[in-house]
Amino acid sequence: MAALLRSARLLKFSPSGLLQITGTKRNGPPLGRLYSGAVGGRRTGVCSRQISPVSANVSSRVWPYAAGCVRHYAVATEQKDEASAAVRSKQAQQFDWALTKLDSSVRRTGRITKTLLLRIFHDTCRAGYPSGNQALLLLRSCGSLLPEVPLEERTELAHRVWERLLELGAQYDVSHYNALLKVYLQNDFKFSPTDFLAKMEAANVHPNRVTYQRLIAAYCQNGDIEGASTILGFMKSKDLPITEAVFSSLVTGHARAGDMDSAANILPVMRGAGIEPSPDTYVSLLNAYAEKGDLANMKKTLEEAEGADCSMMDRDIMQLIFTLAKAGHQHLLPEMVERLRHERGYVPDAMNLCLSLITQGQEDTAFSILKTFPTLQSENNESSNLGNFFLRHCINVDTSLQKIVHYCKELQENNLHTAPLTFSLACALEAKKIGTSLELMKLFKEQNLPIRPHYFWPLLIQPAKENNVAGVVEVAKGMQDLGVSLDTETLSNYVLPVFPSIEEARKALMDAGISMDSEGFLCSEVRSLAGSNLAKLFTLLSDPSFPSLDLSTFRSSLITGFRKSTDVESMVKITVLLYRDERFSKGSYKPAEDTAYFLYNLIDDMSEGQLQAQQGKLRTFFNQLHAQNVTISLNIYRGIKNILESHEVPELIKDLIPLLDSKVSNGPSGAAPRFTGLEGKVLALENKLAEYKAENKPLGTILKQVIQTLAAEENLPRALELKQQHEEEMTAGGYATLISLCCRHKNVEEALNLKREMNRKDSSVALDASKYIALIKLLSVNDRVEEAVDILKEMKEKDVALIDLQVTSVFHMLNTVAATGGVAAVRRLQDTIFTLGLAKPTANLCSPVVTAYLESKDVPGALEAALECQKLYNQLPRIHDIIVALVEMGDTDLLQKAMDFVSQERGEMTMLYDLFFAFLQTGRYREARKIMETPGLRSKPGRLQWYADKCIFTKQMEPLEQMVEMTAKLFECDRDEMYTYILRLCKETNDWKKAEAIWTKMQEENVIPRERTLCLLADILRSNGQHVPFEVPETWYKQAPTTQQVKSPSTPPTAEGGADYQGRLLALCKKGKAKEALGILKEADKMGVAFNPSPYDQLIRALLSEGAIEDAFVVKGIAETRVPGFKLSDIASSLLIISYSKRGQAKDALEKLKSMLQVDHVPSNLAITRLVQALGNSGDVAGIQEVESLIKSLATTSSLSSMVFINNTALAHINNGDVDSAVELFDAMYTSPDNTNPSMSFVFRKVLESGNDKALDKLSIMAERLANHFACYRPASDLFLQLLEMDKVEDAKFMLARCNAVAEQKELLLSFVSQKAQSPGQIGKIRSLLSLIPDIAEKEVVNAYLIKCHVLDKDFTSAKALYEQMQKEGLAVDELSLKRLAGLYREARETVPFTEPPESFKFYADKLKERAAKGQAAEK
Amino acid sequence: MAASSKKVLELFVSKIPWTVASKEMREYFTQFGPVKKCLVPFDKETGFNRGFCWVGFSTEEGLNNALQKDPHVLEGAKLQVQRNRRPFAGQRPNKNGDSD
Repeated sequence: MAALLRSARLLKFSPSGLLQITGTKRNGPPLGRLYSGAVGGRRTGVCSRQISPVSANVSSRVWPYAAGCVRHYAVATEQKDEASAAVRSKQAQQFDWALTKLDSSVRRTGRITKTLLLRIFHDTCRAGYPSGNQALLLLRSCGSLLPEVPLEERTELAHRVWERLLELGAQYDVSHYNALLKVYLQNDFKFSPTDFLAKMEAANVHPNRVTYQRLIAAYCQNGDIEGASTILGFMKSKDLPITEAVFSSLVTGHARAGDMDSAANILPVMRGAGIEPSPDTYVSLLNAYAEKGDLANMKKTLEEAEGADCSMMDRDIMQLIFTLAKAGHQHLLPEMVERLRHERGYVPDAMNLCLSLITQGQEDTAFSILKTFPTLQSENNESSNLGNFFLRHCINVDTSLQKIVHYCKELQENNLHTAPLTFSLACALEAKKIGTSLELMKLFKEQNLPIRPHYFWPLLIQPAKENNVAGVVEVAKGMQDLGVSLDTETLSNYVLPVFPSIEEARKALMDAGISMDSEGFLCSEVRSLAGSNLAKLFTLLSDPSFPSLDLSTFRSSLITGFRKSTDVESMVKITVLLYRDERFSKGSYKPAEDTAYFLYNLIDDMSEGQLQAQQGKLRTFFNQLHAQNVTISLNIYRGIKNILESHEVPELIKDLIPLLDSKVSNGPSGAAPRFTGLEGKVLALENKLAEYKAENKPLGTILKQVIQTLAAEENLPRALELKQQHEEEMTAGGYATLISLCCRHKNVEEALNLKREMNRKDSSVALDASKYIALIKLLSVNDRVEEAVDILKEMKEKDVALIDLQVTSVFHMLNTVAATGGVAAVRRLQDTIFTLGLAKPTANLCSPVVTAYLESKDVPGALEAALECQKLYNQLPRIHDIIVALVEMGDTDLLQKAMDFVSQERGEMTMLYDLFFAFLQTGRYREARKIMETPGLRSKPGRLQWYADKCIFTKQMEPLEQMVEMTAKLFECDRDEMYTYILRLCKETNDWKKAEAIWTKMQEENVIPRERTLCLLADILRSNGQHVPFEVPETWYKQAPTTQQVKSPSTPPTAEGGADYQGRLLALCKKGKAKEALGILKEADKMGVAFNPSPYDQLIRALLSEGAIEDAFVVKGIAETRVPGFKLSDIASSLLIISYSKRGQAKDALEKLKSMLQVDHVPSNLAITRLVQALGNSGDVAGIQEVESLIKSLATTSSLSSMVFINNTALAHINNGDVDSAVELFDAMYTSPDNTNPSMSFVFRKVLESGNDKALDKLSIMAERLANHFACYRPASDLFLQLLEMDKVEDAKFMLARCNAVAEQKELLLSFVSQKAQSPGQIGKIRSLLSLIPDIAEKEVVNAYLIKCHVLDKDFTSAKALYEQMQKEGLAVDELSLKRLAGLYREARETVPFTEPPESFKFYADKLKERAAKGQAAEK
Repeated sequence: MAASSKKVLELFVSKIPWTVASKEMREYFTQFGPVKKCLVPFDKETGFNRGFCWVGFSTEEGLNNALQKDPHVLEGAKLQVQRNRRPFAGQRPNKNGDSD
């Protein structure tokens, strides 16, 4: 407290502006609030105001999955059993997906649309058994996040969600009940709190503090003080803290009971209880006055609030506006609107206010708010339109057209919107509101705006779909009344299809008084005849009086007609007519070309089945066309031929050939494959080496190697001895090794001697950068700074470049010097480095000077140094530490100076965060809170995480908790993330009580935890032997299976209820003991215990994961008797397909897939893949095609690669002994212009595994042909890598000799390396590849993978050798690899011979990725 | 694949306003040169155009004229106009129904 007092006084005494900084003024009264002298007690709880639209705000993870853009650096993950992994991850994925959807909606707009919510709800239901946090997410979204939905409907929706998810087996805990209460409160829903409590009790869920608080709020909303008091008494008896949220409710309660005096009196009562009224309390009181229309008291209260340092945010004022409008005090609105300050984030909030007002019938007030919106300024001079959302919502809720038109007029007159009426019409059409749309179009007509036929299409779609003649005629009539004639498009796409014939259509439309437009009908007639009577069509078209009509207007109808018809004669006649007659070919296309293209389209449009069935018809058709001298170009011929081939009707090709234009050249000429032998360069080198040794030739190289080995053993004396013996044989490399050895042994004199000696021998020789740095460090810490500076100069002269990593070593060097050599030395070195341009000044590199000052307790010096860095190099090193030190010292002037400076140089936001963290760090929480309340401040996740990590690392709970609490209302702050920080620290300190309290707080704040948050919480509770009061997401048991096993009792209880059975059942399922679980289920079933559907499904899934299909069916049988209408969930069905497929029962699997699709269930990609593979194994080509068409017909776009089908179709052919078909399939695919070069590795693998040499030969010939003739290298590369994969190195070598271009497929090769480097024991394959193609990438890159492999293999010796080898060769080791190596060194209990990079793995992986991406961009 | 040997003189136009259909697009682009074909796909579920279209010119000159103009503004909307990467053949116009 003393510290607080002091700092308060300190700040108070500097009124002119510790924080008066340029730029703050635009945010209104800013940091002046910091000076207020009052020292408040800390608040006991966090509470959000009744409407807090952004509180569900959770950002999606920043960390992109490693597999992303650059695969090279993917972090190693272990492959788990795919089936069970699929089950577990699916729900998590679904939750993440839904969360991201809702979150991005809330983030962008502060609201959710009903459509989006319903879609997610249906998806959740369809997918099977929803998890706890899915349920929470949905419930939470049924309140004020839906401003476009009327209150009653919102509550109905919440109840629907609640009931439906309960049926589906969701388990509700107290957080769900609390969320439901919140939704009730937000929706003004009247309910009985006692009934609610009874319901909770019946479900055996214990209410907590948040529950009671919300029940009190519910009583108070109805003005029932007595009810509220009962609960209050109850809370007191349970010793629960009474928070300001309760007091705020009581204000409302008294006011609604008509007792304004008592309401106002709550504030002093609060103070008496030691709780300061918060802005929320004032808002409650203000709302109470607003309901009464008591402006005078509102003003008074606003002043009071201001005086008590609780100034109102825009969002609060908006609430008052809403209350005033609802209570009918419109005349007071301007007073409040004036008070809006247009803070950042004003627009989305104001939009939501408008939407709520419109929904609740207060559109005029909404419009007056709309007019306060800032007009958007767009740079490209595009007219910006204000109020689209407003007009749309008015249309949607059927606001009277008169009003809408009035708004439109005003918007346009004020230049706020260029075409409000047109926009309103679009909205009405979107909503398919026929009446409104037609009315609006009438206005169009009055204003001379064009009305076009396609405006009516949105209105026609519904009736046309339903074959609703009356509906279609109504719209058609509307068109005519508006003077729009029915054109061909409208007629043939929307109007005519609902009639059985064109005559009936004509009659019905005539009866309705619709006049016939001849051209439109003519075209429609052609289309209709094309589909029904080709002979008649020919008569019509060939009539010389028939007008010109382009083929494209009826092409698709004609294709359909040709496909259906058996009248080949008419087909030929029509085709020939089109071929010759220019009437059907507008523009410059020759009719012949158009017609040839039409033929292509005709064939292309037919399915394989149709083509095969109509072979005879098509043959006659082609023959007769030929007889009529119809020809096609080579391109068209090829196109058709490809289709015929791929659809297995190659017989037709010979009938097609005669049509081919005669002047056509033959196929591509063959070229002989290039033969370039692969020299064994590596071997040669090794031989040479041996030779040298034997013949006792010049020793230079050998000597160097010996010295290097000695250096590796750190044997300095012997190395020096050797050097003296063979001084004349010494090479520069030898010296370099020795110098660096001396540096390690801190032998300054010897190092300098060696350096001089080396220079004498050859003055042009340069050491590599790391050795120079080591030398500089050695000199500097030994007080020989000037000599160190000379070395730096030499580096510059000899052009020694510093790469990133060496810059890091410079930093460490400077830091060491800072610790020993003092400020002057660091400064001298640093200045030299920057002046010479050896390294760019970064924050890191600048920091050692500041560090030196801070270590000598010279804070002003540190600040000066930092400011100077900013001026010189635009860097602010260690500013946090400096500010903390300044705050602690209480040096206001310097602090002021620092803040001015930061703000000026880095912007106000950075300054505010710097100050915020400094206040937190020094325990000045009140000041920190004030900073967070600065209007316009928004979340900087990176900075918040930085401080949180710092707190977690140093185990500082208090500042961390304070930060989380203070950021509750910070714009765009990811609350789940923030609470996770606390939980992480709880885990560190093993503080389960704190963790549990955090969970309650999250409910109070309406935060929906992510799965990982719940897992973390559950983990903390369980490891302390606590009961976990919620359903734990499925992933937890993998993380901590041991603790669970210890806890589970070994003696089975005898008499147990359903719940106990269920618990044991689920636990066993989760532990993978499905058979035991089955035993339990049978036992329970015998005793007549029935469960809800979820446990049955879980058990079925567990059994299927083990492949126990029969047992799964037993469970399904039991479930069907116990749960009427029991169906397998998506996941279970998918697993069943997988199990069948694995057993080779492909037919059963296919049946299951079909039945799944029938009930609109979506199989997992894995299930489809396994099924297709099983079909491929059994040679079932047709089956694969069937699956493919089924999957393609699915509405949802599947992320499944089309190669699954192609590869397995090929395998099916191969398994049927028909390798040629497989070859043709790939040939066609890889030579097609749409070829994206997909992988066919899978096929090679299967063929290699099965030892089918015949197939392998043909495929490899194909691959080489594609590579050599068509420059398509994918198949060859796939084969080559697959050979390596199967350790057939010799074969791979021959292949490479035949097909040298494979060596150029660097990207593929590297991705092979990267993939191999993901799992242990694969290094041999990488080595084989490197032995064949040594230069697949830069050495650094390859070595990084090798290091990763060694680390995965825990092969310390090899890793160390590689590292040292790289050191010797002067190759840079990237930080990620160093980090990996460091771990290995530690495991081997050896000292790490380099400074371990300080940041996380993720940090360096990101850095590498960024660099690789930049590199790629640069290449392009 | 059928038309790949021919030079593609087509534009891909996006951000087209909902108020236009193929007639309006054709009218607009004719100012740059003769338009051979114009395809504005409509959504079968909503009845609105999909916000983009293809315009094929008869002459290279027409195409270049159109590409040189910037911005293209039609009924208050700024159109995004770029050369079509793939010929119509890949679009399978018969799947989108007949056009004029």
